[in-house]
Amino acid sequence: MLYRTAGQFKTSYKSDQALFPIKQDAFLLGVILLFAVVIFPLTASEFAFQTILIPILIYSLAALGLNILTGFAGQLSLGTAAFMGVGAYACYKMVTLMPWMNPIVAILLSGVFSAGVGVAFGIPSLRIKGFYLAIATLAAQFFLVWLFEKWAWLYNYNASGAIQVPNLDMFGVYIAGPQASSVVQYFVVLFIVALLTMVCINLTRGNLGRTWKATRDMDIAAELIGINLMKSKLTAFAVSSYIVGVAGALFVFMWRGAAEPNLFDIPLSFRVLFIAIIGGLGSIMGNFLGAILIVGLPVILNLVPGALGIPISSATVEHLNIMIVGSLIIFFLIVEPHGLAQLWRLIREKLIIWPFPH
Amino acid sequence: MKNFAKLAAAAVVASVVAGAAVAEGLYTPNLSYRTGPFAATGIPLMNGQKDYMAMLNARDGGVGGVKIDFEECETGYSTEKGVECYEKTKGKAIVTQPWSTGITLQVLPKTNVDMIPILAPGYGFSPMMDGKTFQWAFNMPSGYWDGADMILQFLASEGDLKGKKVAFLHLDHPYGKEPLPLLEAKAETMGYELLPIPVGLKEMQNQSAQWLQIRRERPDYVVMWGWGAMNAGAITEAVKTKFDMSKMIGVWWSGHDADLAIVGDKGKGYKSISWSFPDASSGVMADVKKYVVDAGASQSNETEMQGVFYGRGLVMSMILAEGIKVAQEKYETAEINAEQLRWGLENINITEERLAELGMSGMVAPFSTSCSNHTGNSGGWMLEWDGAKFVKVSDHLVPDTSAYADIVKAKAAEYAEANAPWAVNEACEG
Repeated sequence: MLYRTAGQFKTSYKSDQALFPIKQDAFLLGVILLFAVVIFPLTASEFAFQTILIPILIYSLAALGLNILTGFAGQLSLGTAAFMGVGAYACYKMVTLMPWMNPIVAILLSGVFSAGVGVAFGIPSLRIKGFYLAIATLAAQFFLVWLFEKWAWLYNYNASGAIQVPNLDMFGVYIAGPQASSVVQYFVVLFIVALLTMVCINLTRGNLGRTWKATRDMDIAAELIGINLMKSKLTAFAVSSYIVGVAGALFVFMWRGAAEPNLFDIPLSFRVLFIAIIGGLGSIMGNFLGAILIVGLPVILNLVPGALGIPISSATVEHLNIMIVGSLIIFFLIVEPHGLAQLWRLIREKLIIWPFPH
Repeated sequence: MKNFAKLAAAAVVASVVAGAAVAEGLYTPNLSYRTGPFAATGIPLMNGQKDYMAMLNARDGGVGGVKIDFEECETGYSTEKGVECYEKTKGKAIVTQPWSTGITLQVLPKTNVDMIPILAPGYGFSPMMDGKTFQWAFNMPSGYWDGADMILQFLASEGDLKGKKVAFLHLDHPYGKEPLPLLEAKAETMGYELLPIPVGLKEMQNQSAQWLQIRRERPDYVVMWGWGAMNAGAITEAVKTKFDMSKMIGVWWSGHDADLAIVGDKGKGYKSISWSFPDASSGVMADVKKYVVDAGASQSNETEMQGVFYGRGLVMSMILAEGIKVAQEKYETAEINAEQLRWGLENINITEERLAELGMSGMVAPFSTSCSNHTGNSGGWMLEWDGAKFVKVSDHLVPDTSAYADIVKAKAAEYAEANAPWAVNEACEG
C-alpha cells in the first residue's frame, strides 16, 4: 500500500537504471536528508553532535571504505585502522607544514596517501586469498602503528607522542580544533560523507564495481572473461584505502581533536569490520545501519536508566550495555546473517506486496 | 495495550520522581574506570574519591552547607567514552576529572573554550604547572616532572649518580613519555647515563625482551613509569630475573599494593615515590568508617582501604573539596559556578594545621597553589614495600622546580602556539 509500485512505468533504459527507480525510495531518502540537513542541526544538542551524529557518520564512512574492499571485491582486510591512521597523520602533517591549506582540501588529499600505502599492502592479494590475505593486512596493521610510534617526524617531535589538532579556519569560520563549533563540524562531515557515498554508489554500479563483484564471486571465471585481476584488486585496494584514509582524517580532525598511535590499533579495525559485517557486506546503506547499531545505540542505552530514574551506578550501566549490544549483534546475525541491509531489503519487498501477498 | 499504558504511566512517574530526586548541589562528575583493562587500579582510587565526598555529605552536609553531587560516568579508560562523558556532564559540571592521559589530552583544549576547570591530581600534562597558560587545568599536588626530580634526588642521596646507568622502563604511551624531557636534561647535569626502555601496550604482560635488555645492560637503577598490567608484569619479571628490588623505583602509579602482593616477600625493597600515604589510624579514616562504611554506602573493603591507592583517592577528593571551600569563602555564596571554582582551585593553601583539622596529617604534604603555579609541588615521600605493605623510607622530599621552570615555560608556550588562538590568564603576574 505504502510502497505500491504499480503504475510506475519505465519507458526507457535510462529510467530503468535510475538510482531510485521507485518513487517511495527517493521520497524516503528525501526525508532522511531533510532530517540530516535541517532538523538535526536545528534541534541536536552539543552532546548529540559529539557522541551520536558525527561519530556515526565517520564510522559509516570508514565501514564504507572497508566494504568496497571486503564486500564488493572480496578481499578480507584487517588493517582498516592503520589506513585510517595514515590518513590522519598525513592530514596532520599537511596542515602543520602548510598552514595556508584549506582544511577540507587537506582532508580529501590525505586519502591519497593512504591509497598509496593501501596499494602497497594490497600487492600480496595477487598471490594470496582469504585468511592468508587477512594475515598480510594484519602485518600492515602492526607495522603502521609501530611506525606512528617510532617516526617522531610524523607527530612533529611532540614529547607526548600524540597529535593535537590545531585550530583551522575556512573563510573566517573555525572548522577544526577546540574553537570549532559542533554544528560546523557536523556539516563538514556530512558534506564529505555524502559526497563520497555518492561516488561509491556510482562506482559500484558502474564498470569498476562489476569487475570487483566478478572478482569476488569467482576470480578464475573473472579472469577467463577478460578481467584483469591485478587491476581489479589493486583499484579496490586504492579506492577502499582512499575512503578509509579520509575517514581517518575526519575521525581525528572533525571529532577526536587529538590522537595517540595506539588509537589506530586493532580494536578499531575490528570495530569497523563489525559495522561492515552487521550492516551487510556488499551494501552501501548497510554501513550506515551498522554504525547506528554499533556506535549510536550504546550511547543511547547509556542514557536510558538515567532518563527513567533507575538508580544504578554508571559502571553497572556499562556492563549491561556491553551485554545488551552484544546480544543484539547475535540476534541480528541470527535473524539475518546477511546483515541489516538485507533485513531492510526483505522488509521493503514485503511492504511492496502488502497487504495482498498473492 | 493495557500493559503498555501501565508501563508508560510508570515511566512518567519514575521520571518525575527522578527529576525531584536529582541531588541538588554542586555537580562534580568523575570520569571513572571501574571496568576495562585498568579497572584493578581504578576501583580503589574511585572508591576513595567517592567515599570522601559521601563522608562530607553525611557528616557536614556537603561543603559550606551544599551537598556535593559526586556522580561517576564510566569510561572504562577509553578515550571515546571519556569524551562522551565530558560532553554529557559539561552542561552543569563545575569541574571535570578526566583520569586517563588520553582523555586529558583530548579534553584539555575543550575546557579552555568551555571554561570548566580540569582537575587531574598527580597526572596529566606536566606543563599544566604553568597556570598562566593553562588557566583551567590543575594537576596538584605534584606533576610527573616533580616525581622524576624527587626520584633522582633520592638516588643521589644514596651515592653520586655520576657515571651510573639508569634504565627508564616506561609505557610507550603519552603517559610514559611524559618525564623524558626532564630525565634527559638531568642526565647532562648529573652525569648519569639514561637508558630509555619502552614497553608497548601489547607487551605489558610479557616484558621478557625488555628484561633481557636490562640484564644485558646491567643498569644501576631501574626507574619505572608503568600503569595497569605493566606494573605487575615488570615486578614479576624483575623477581624472575633476580633483579635487586631495592634498585627499582616506580612513579606513584606504580605503587599499587595489589601488584606487589602477588610477589609478596620477594618484592621486598621495591620503592615507589608518592605524594600521598595511607594512614588507617587517621581522623579522616575514622570518619569514613563511621559515616560511610558503617552506613553500608561504601563499595570498598577492609584490605583495599588500607592500600596506597584508596588513601590517594581520599586526598584527591579533599583537594577538590578544599577548592570548593576556598571559592565559597571568597565569593560568599555556597552555590559556586565553574569560574569561581577555578579561582578556588588556584588559591588553595593546605598547611600542616589545615591537614590536622581535616584529620589527614601525613597523608599528603602541605602545598599551596597560585595563579602562576597550578601544581603546587607538594613533594612527597619514598615508599618501600616491606613484604606486606608500603612504608615511608625517606623524609619529605621537595622537588627543585627551578631546574625545570624553563622547560615548563617553553612547553606551555609551544602548546599555546600550536592551539592558537589560546586564551591565557592575562591578569596573572609571573
